[in-house]
Amino acid sequence: MVETHFPELDATVPPPPRRGILSTASLYKLAIYIILIVAAFIAMVPFGYVVSTSLKSTMSLFAYPPDWLPDEPTLDNYRNLIDRYPFWRWLMNSAIVAGSVTLIKLVVDSMAGYAFAKMRFPGKEPLFLLVLISLMVPFAALLIPTFIIVRELGLLNTYWGLILPGLASPIGIFMMRQFIESLPSDLENAARLDGCSEFQIYRRVILPLIKPGLVVLGVFTFMTQWTSYLWPLVAATKPQMATLTVGARSLTSDFTQDWGLNSAAAVLSMLPMILVFIFLQRYFIAGSIAGALKE
Amino acid sequence: MAQVEFIQVGKSYGETGAVHNVNLTVDDSEFLVLLGPSGCGKSTLLKMVAGLEDVTAGEIRIDGRVVNYVKPGDRNVAMVFQNYALYPHMTVQENIGFPLKMTKVPKDQIRERVTRTAAILGLDGLLDRRPEQLSGGQRQRVALARSIIREPAVFLMDEPLSNLDAQLRVQTREELLKLHERLQTTTIYVTHDQIEAMTMGHRIVVMRSGVVQQVGRPQDVYDNPANTFVAAFLGSPRINLQTGKLDGATFGGDGFVVPLNSKLAGAASAVTAGSDVALGVRPEDIEVRVGAVEASGDKIALDGVVSLVEPVGSDLYVRAQTGNVDWMARTEARLPVEPGQAVTLVLNLEHAHLFGEDGRNLAS
Repeated sequence: MVETHFPELDATVPPPPRRGILSTASLYKLAIYIILIVAAFIAMVPFGYVVSTSLKSTMSLFAYPPDWLPDEPTLDNYRNLIDRYPFWRWLMNSAIVAGSVTLIKLVVDSMAGYAFAKMRFPGKEPLFLLVLISLMVPFAALLIPTFIIVRELGLLNTYWGLILPGLASPIGIFMMRQFIESLPSDLENAARLDGCSEFQIYRRVILPLIKPGLVVLGVFTFMTQWTSYLWPLVAATKPQMATLTVGARSLTSDFTQDWGLNSAAAVLSMLPMILVFIFLQRYFIAGSIAGALKE
Repeated sequence: MAQVEFIQVGKSYGETGAVHNVNLTVDDSEFLVLLGPSGCGKSTLLKMVAGLEDVTAGEIRIDGRVVNYVKPGDRNVAMVFQNYALYPHMTVQENIGFPLKMTKVPKDQIRERVTRTAAILGLDGLLDRRPEQLSGGQRQRVALARSIIREPAVFLMDEPLSNLDAQLRVQTREELLKLHERLQTTTIYVTHDQIEAMTMGHRIVVMRSGVVQQVGRPQDVYDNPANTFVAAFLGSPRINLQTGKLDGATFGGDGFVVPLNSKLAGAASAVTAGSDVALGVRPEDIEVRVGAVEASGDKIALDGVVSLVEPVGSDLYVRAQTGNVDWMARTEARLPVEPGQAVTLVLNLEHAHLFGEDGRNLAS
């Protein structure tokens, strides 16, 4: 029998050459890690200080040099906040407003984005231009007209008064349009031939495919609404309609400033945002880089 | 199964025309191939049948019913797309069953028909996978399964093999033909690949710039091209098209003269002597001989010098110069010729053509 040898079929692959422990690549990696750790530390310091302050008693607040970790941590600031102020009401108002704006925007913006990206209708280009133009107008410039409209509609000090202006932000429409435009048109065509109506194409084909984009838009919208201050301050003058940001601001008067109480309010305000981000982080990162990596 | 009729069909985007005055009938159970280069309007025509593009002139009828304004989903046609267009978020099973789900077929029936269709296309073991977990060939078969499950009256295929590698393309081509043999569904198939068109179509429709150039059985179109475009588009290497003038019973090219046979002389009688014409001879109708050869019957001999030799394994492509023009010949693979060598080109005029100034075949 003739013995043959086929190197390409040989299962034994020679091991890659060993590299030094500190090759150029690993030094580069190390440098990147050091820069990232320093950046993360700088970003975390204010947050850490707020958490630390919220756990300090009034007496130890002004100790010098400042204690990063209080010797006797206390939850008094949190108790004070919850017992003396309508904190839960503020939290509920914020959750209702931010949650509603987010949910409604996801539906409306994705539908509008679909229309702008994939449908043909008269006036599509001028309308989209209008959306782009409205992106460039700062909210402060719209504050007074918006206030007058909401007042005339009798919506001051109502949830709708807080929610409706938030829905008009065009950034979501723009974002959804970009996402949907990157989907191949043959997918909708296939769905059309499979018997889908225009709404079914949106609901059954487009929506599931833009999930990462929806998560990014959802997180951005929720975050913007949760931290929104100016509009709730103007549109909700009654204490029971105050959102967290407005409520937290009311903890400070002209003559007193309770840093511990303020810090406790800040920490509790941040918690829902952190939870939202941790829960959706996977989608969020995938979605925010999707535009760069999609073919 | 159904007949598809195109009656003076046109498509324009504003001022720009994409398809012009197409009159064509696709017979029941026929496999018709639309062939042409990119931008010739073949895909547009297919999308007009599907309802994905509006018809701006004329009528399209499916089984006698005018479908110009019928929604795509109500036309009883199915389409296979070039990039498969599988829904990435659905499993193979859900993809195949989707058209039935949309037409509200009961779930147990969907399951049964999906299983049956998957078995036909050899997808049994893949039903729970997602498209991203499939190879190109498997994705293509899922796309086919999704289109056949509805048992449509017409299949529309838009370059379905162009994303597959060469070997898989040949295999899938055979599978498609077997499937057509089995289902006998009227099929309109779009491609720019002449081999696909020649091997698959009962008839082919050659298009250029939105205009149908020729319709016919593949061999007929190859043997009797209606004009220089069709002659040049079909066949590889390309047909030799030499321009020259008619002088009685001879064709005078740039530095060479070809006496016409009776077939070409008959065609030449359609134009006046001295007209500009083009002589078309396919590379396989040119023999390359070393040494002198006597002309006989349909065969005429021209002296030439080899300028390029391209071996492709099964054949040898030889480019040789006669007078001031080049001829491409397809000869036996192992012919001992090399560049610079003097040879005799034997042109077999039995299948040659004369084309008029407007490009039309003078014999037609």
